[in-house]
Amino acid sequence: MTRFRTPNFRGRHAIILHRSSKGTGQLARQLERLGMTVEVCWPDFPAEGSSADVVFFDADNGFDGLFPWAQGEAPMPLIALLGSELPGRLEWALAQGIASHVVKPVQSSGVFSALVIAASNFDAAKTQQEQFEELQARLGRRPDVIRAVVNLMQLGLLDEDTAFSCLRSAAMDERITIEEFCSRLDADRLAQLIRHQSRDKWRVEE
Amino acid sequence: MRREIPLGLLYSVTGTYGAIGRDALDGALLALEEINRDETRPISFKAVSKDPGGNIDSYHRMSEAMLREQGCRHVVGTITSIGRKEVIPIIEKYDALLWYILPYEGFEACENVIYTGAAPNQHILPLFAHLIPTYGNRVYLTGSNYIWGWETNRIARELVLATKGEILGERYLPLDDTDVERMITEVEQKRPDFILNNLIGTSSYAFLQAYHQLGLKDADFLPAKRPVVSCDLTECELADIGFEAAAGHLCSAVYFEDVDNPLNALFRTKVTEKFGADRPLSAFLVGGYAAIHMIAEAIAGAGTDEIEPVKQALFTKTFDTAQGPITIDAKTNHAALIPHLGRINDKGGFDIVLAAESPVPADPYLVDFDPQAFAEEVGRARTDGSSHLRLVK
Repeated sequence: MTRFRTPNFRGRHAIILHRSSKGTGQLARQLERLGMTVEVCWPDFPAEGSSADVVFFDADNGFDGLFPWAQGEAPMPLIALLGSELPGRLEWALAQGIASHVVKPVQSSGVFSALVIAASNFDAAKTQQEQFEELQARLGRRPDVIRAVVNLMQLGLLDEDTAFSCLRSAAMDERITIEEFCSRLDADRLAQLIRHQSRDKWRVEE
Repeated sequence: MRREIPLGLLYSVTGTYGAIGRDALDGALLALEEINRDETRPISFKAVSKDPGGNIDSYHRMSEAMLREQGCRHVVGTITSIGRKEVIPIIEKYDALLWYILPYEGFEACENVIYTGAAPNQHILPLFAHLIPTYGNRVYLTGSNYIWGWETNRIARELVLATKGEILGERYLPLDDTDVERMITEVEQKRPDFILNNLIGTSSYAFLQAYHQLGLKDADFLPAKRPVVSCDLTECELADIGFEAAAGHLCSAVYFEDVDNPLNALFRTKVTEKFGADRPLSAFLVGGYAAIHMIAEAIAGAGTDEIEPVKQALFTKTFDTAQGPITIDAKTNHAALIPHLGRINDKGGFDIVLAAESPVPADPYLVDFDPQAFAEEVGRARTDGSSHLRLVK
């Protein structure tokens, strides 16, 4: 198990997308205490803003088109600054893909935990997205697997389970996924597999 | 005409950690009497003192009564982090200022709190930077079952693991529980290089007494070889432990009775006059005393007890105290303090082993902490004996 390390935000850059107020001052001070640099702006998202490490935004007055990216595709964790708890506002904030939130009026407590939770959620979502994309790609190659199993069954006179495990162990030998193996499988390699398989079969029967 | 300012004093002087509360309160009252006697000062204080008796449910009610009914804008008090966290929402609600003088586990910088006790970079970091090269990095962790113990032990674990050391065990007792037998048995079996004691009050006393018995039985557990180390144990509790049982163990603190400066000598005289020559001085006695003087000077400087002007006045001053010069950082509301390492002697006091050259600013969120750099520092100290703490004796 990897141990929980003291979270550290030293040197990170935060954007506070909110009308400048006592609350944004309080939030900026707390972020500076954590060793971060801070930029307060509203309503225009800064030109270089996409490289920020975290964005706090006004969920009470936020509107579509506030961010320069497609909805839900923020390249950094988003933290909602929530005053209103109206369902419509919460729905809009959720649609942006928030990683955590801070309740207004902002106090010095709550900011650190919002950052830690946002960073953790953002990383988890990123990992999940990568896994999802990988699985989706594998799923897209599923017809190749079916084709390879059917060919092996017909040409090698094997049952379904044997054909599949033969493909799987060949893919493992090459350290690639079974989908990738099957999508690359040509007639020569198929013939080779059948020869190996029948030799193994004879050896067992001897 | 001097203006009388109501001042809340919220210390548990009874209950499990009553010894700490009595020291903090006595220090505060000593300063308060001094200020009230001094006719040249523009203000005097009216003490509004309440004793929650270590009962967590009383903090909320008592602090609210101070602020709402007695008109206090400043409250000096709370011992444990549970107590402080209980009071902070009330303090924020009335926009008052809490003065907190104890060492704590950090990760807080409330705008309505002034922290004059040590943060982790002022207690456990310098302590471990010395202990690991000296005794080793196979460590046993103990604590009372609440956030002080949990979090200080978590930091300790991070420090030990950064140096590729090993945590041999981590055990907790409920507040007031003195059933330390299991811990002692485990320590006896595992033979750690040192033991971090984050137990408080009676649990801590019982542990040190039982460890002393273990040392009498087996010299392998004498403090010179395997010390018990603490970040919050001071002179005021040594009598409760017993001088013999406590002797030889190590503590980190921002003040020890033997700190060598003229104001500390003066403080000794004042305490002797008021409480007698056998009253030990502690970081809590001196901390309570210093806090009241800081409040008085900041209020005088601001010309009001409203908290914003008081804070601004506070941030610009350097306070000469018995524990050395104190400044409060406007960015964190925390004090810069001088970490010391002391070894308990058999006369109910500490021999100062090491002390930092100058006050160390608090880093409550450990922003400047880097486990890798810590491991390197410890590695260097192991080979050449260097330390950022200066050798005193």
